[in-house]
Amino acid sequence: MNVYHPKVTAWFWLLGMLFIGFLGSQSLGKDWLETGFLALLPVTEQKPEIARAVRQHNEQLNRKVIWLTGAATSQDAIAHARQLKQQLQQSGLFGKLMLELPQQMMVKQYQQLFPYRYQLLDVQTRFTLDNNPKDLLAQNLETLYSPIGQMTAADLEHDPLLLFSRYFNAQNPLKLTVEQGIVILHDADRFWALLLTDLEDQHLQLDKLEVLLALVNSSTTQTQAAGGDLMVTGMPLFTAQGSDSARQEISTVGLGSSAGIVVLLLLTFRSLRPLLLSFLAIGSGLFAALVVSVLFFGKIHIITLVFGASLIGVADDYAIHFVCDSFGAKNWLPRQGLRYIFPGLVIGLLTNLLSYAGLVFSPFPGLQEVALFSAVGLLAAWLTVVLLFPLLLTGFKPDHQPLILVCANYWQQHWPVWLLKKRRWLIPVLLVFIAGGLWQLSPRDDVRLLQSAPAELLKTADKIKQLLPVSQENQFFLVSGHDINDWHQHEQQLLKRLNLLTQEHKLMAYQGLSDYWPDEDNQETNYRLLDKTLYQSGLLKQYMNELGFSEQAINTELKQFSEAKNRSISLPEWLATADETKQQLWLGCDVDRCLSRVVLTGITDLPALAALQSLQGVTWVDQVEQLSSLFARYRVSVSLLLIAAYLLVFTGLGLKFGWYDALKITAIPVVAALVSLAMMGWFDQLFSLFNLFALLLVLGIGVDDAIFFFMADSSAALSNETDHDRRASTSLAVTLSALTTLLAFGLLAVSSTEIVHAFGFTVATGILTALVLSPLVGNRTPDSREIKSSKRR
Amino acid sequence: MIFLKVLLLFLLSFNQSYAADVLAEISARLVKTPITQGSFQQEKRLKVLRKPLISTGTFTYHQSKGVIWKTLTPIPSLLLVNESHLLTGQGEQAVPAAFGKVFKAMLGGDLKQLTEGFLITGENKKPSWQLQLKPKDEFLQKIISTILLTGDTELRALEIQEVTGNLTRISFTQVTHPVNILPEQEADFERLSP
Repeated sequence: MNVYHPKVTAWFWLLGMLFIGFLGSQSLGKDWLETGFLALLPVTEQKPEIARAVRQHNEQLNRKVIWLTGAATSQDAIAHARQLKQQLQQSGLFGKLMLELPQQMMVKQYQQLFPYRYQLLDVQTRFTLDNNPKDLLAQNLETLYSPIGQMTAADLEHDPLLLFSRYFNAQNPLKLTVEQGIVILHDADRFWALLLTDLEDQHLQLDKLEVLLALVNSSTTQTQAAGGDLMVTGMPLFTAQGSDSARQEISTVGLGSSAGIVVLLLLTFRSLRPLLLSFLAIGSGLFAALVVSVLFFGKIHIITLVFGASLIGVADDYAIHFVCDSFGAKNWLPRQGLRYIFPGLVIGLLTNLLSYAGLVFSPFPGLQEVALFSAVGLLAAWLTVVLLFPLLLTGFKPDHQPLILVCANYWQQHWPVWLLKKRRWLIPVLLVFIAGGLWQLSPRDDVRLLQSAPAELLKTADKIKQLLPVSQENQFFLVSGHDINDWHQHEQQLLKRLNLLTQEHKLMAYQGLSDYWPDEDNQETNYRLLDKTLYQSGLLKQYMNELGFSEQAINTELKQFSEAKNRSISLPEWLATADETKQQLWLGCDVDRCLSRVVLTGITDLPALAALQSLQGVTWVDQVEQLSSLFARYRVSVSLLLIAAYLLVFTGLGLKFGWYDALKITAIPVVAALVSLAMMGWFDQLFSLFNLFALLLVLGIGVDDAIFFFMADSSAALSNETDHDRRASTSLAVTLSALTTLLAFGLLAVSSTEIVHAFGFTVATGILTALVLSPLVGNRTPDSREIKSSKRR
Repeated sequence: MIFLKVLLLFLLSFNQSYAADVLAEISARLVKTPITQGSFQQEKRLKVLRKPLISTGTFTYHQSKGVIWKTLTPIPSLLLVNESHLLTGQGEQAVPAAFGKVFKAMLGGDLKQLTEGFLITGENKKPSWQLQLKPKDEFLQKIISTILLTGDTELRALEIQEVTGNLTRISFTQVTHPVNILPEQEADFERLSP
């Protein structure tokens, strides 16, 4: 131990940190934060075509923000919308702003597709022709005689059967009212003008989202000041609100908990030093963890950052145990102190490393990241304590008896005695409590619980959905075929089934390319169908005659029809005329495969839709489901690894201290974890992957508590000092460590974001249990005395 | 030149206030009740057709619920419309621009509402008045050139002149103002409000 020079070791620490700092300057300059959920999936599960489709789908959804300005008259609503558009344009946040419908584009599309009107029949028209061609003519007459027929019959001269106006209208299933080129929606007492925007950047960066939120707020006040209303919805808004509220809560709770920790440590030590040292240890741990993980993985996921950082919180234990030891000896020297607690620190570190490192063996990249991140962080924090603290604690010797020390000491002396005395009924009660709680525990892995949108936002979104049922769902179908015809067939089969589902009200609407673009075979069939039913049969002639078309007009029509015989339009040609939303449904063809997406609106029966994936060439993509099941698998995987790690820890401790003591030590964290789980069951708390990370924290701290109590006894046995003092300082350290952890994480239980709340709840119950139970470890003297005396009686 | 412009402006503004006065006078002549119903004869003259499309039927106007347009000849059909919905035998349709509002204004006698979307000129003669409407909305201008209204205490005829040369003339007869609508009409309106 004489080799151990505080100054030398401090230099080591400094050199090490400088080296990490150097590495950090190299690696942290790049974009190192990953936020996409696909990165969390094991490599084998990331089918590239699904990944691509999901990415495209999300890019589309993640950009869209829908704005509705409302007023008592449509004129005013439009005026507000124009004002808003200007404001949004100035923000520079949006790549696309659409208020007026692109009339030019629609005219162009009309002209480009018109020559193919005999080939491009919409589904309904084809159905009518197949079943009763005369119905089509009757419908035409109804349209022509109605007072509003003008619009649909505008091109009667060139399209006497109104075939193309049917096809063109079918492309926009929503019947929207347009005024001054702007879509106007109407509810009970208000007109709403529609403004569609796409964010410039699809990556939903947090700072951009904040700007968006501010923009929504300022435009709401402005529109209201002008006497109007504003409703806004869109995925970016949910993300912004969600992260905003979670961040606000965490920072409020964080502020409170930091203040609590500062006051607690100041009151105990009457010095700033322990506080600063704790921060230093955890800070260097976090920094080293970040640098090494980024170096190793290239990019780390935001989930890694959050949970890894929480797990490093265990490192606070080491600092506190060290500093608290100063109360344990009369003439305390940091070097001596370290010597006493060193074995405890080593075992604590090893057990924690072991439990975290277990995560490395899971197949999930996310867990591997967490494992490396927290292991490195823990090691660096531990090294900071061991290498740097002896120097920085030089001359640190509190000469007061803090109240908390007195309390903790009194408590550790008497509490275990009471517990042991009552164990005859305490143990059964505890067992029943745990068993009952675990019985009621049921995991909920639904990823939607992660997002907690404010009720107001949900209400607006619902209202907009009712007015304008266009918002796409998260779920979609991926349709493939080995060539275009094969793909077309597969998609048509799917769309037919979807049509049935919409009639059963299990789905509001769907959109697939093959409904708009018949493949070349079908184009020919359509032409022949028209030929057979209306042209050859003479029905067309009769219909045109009765309506009053001239002989010449009839002949022109017949001539045009026969000239169009061999026309066909290819998919790329068709896509070139389509709007962006439809173009994005097509994912292209490669050597042996063609792919498209079919998007959905207003799903009311998910299982019915998911069942359609049994169709040939159809894949059901449900990201919510996929992510939830990913979390479920993560949860199972973490649980198993956790159990394995603890068996290992138990074995290690057993080999070193004997099986009885090992059992005692491991019993503390295990019982704490069980009680925590049971509490979740009793109080019907959210139980998911995230609670397990909290449990890892509980286990880490629980095992530290137990080991330090155990070592306090064995080190006291080695030294000449009284057993009493060492246990007193240990109980202080355990209490302080429990309190700081409770303040840091347990307070999160007050959060209204369910996932944050669950994390806090788990930590709070687990830590409290560990605190309550840990004095039982190594409580040899009173314990044995008690037993002896009770035996004597 | 400047003088001419000023004169023109003056005349224009005079003309407008004159129209507003006329509008108020005509409005005052109209019977205004929540419910109006009657028969119609519609005559459509489309340029491409050599003979007019003539249809007859009944209409019911309800101030808050909308309009039932029931064609009886030559092909029976039903059209339901209010400010935001339009339902025909072929399902829900897009409401043409300003259509719902115009319908309501004309049949309900709320002529003032028309000034919002149209430039109005006209004369208030006895026994019948006449108004000429030109759309302000440039999108509507592409379709409708003028709408001509004639009437006395009721609207008697409506003529829509389209830019393409097509013409629609609707005349109203047997106009009455019942206090309540019939249950079957009630049911029709029910279909309009989802």
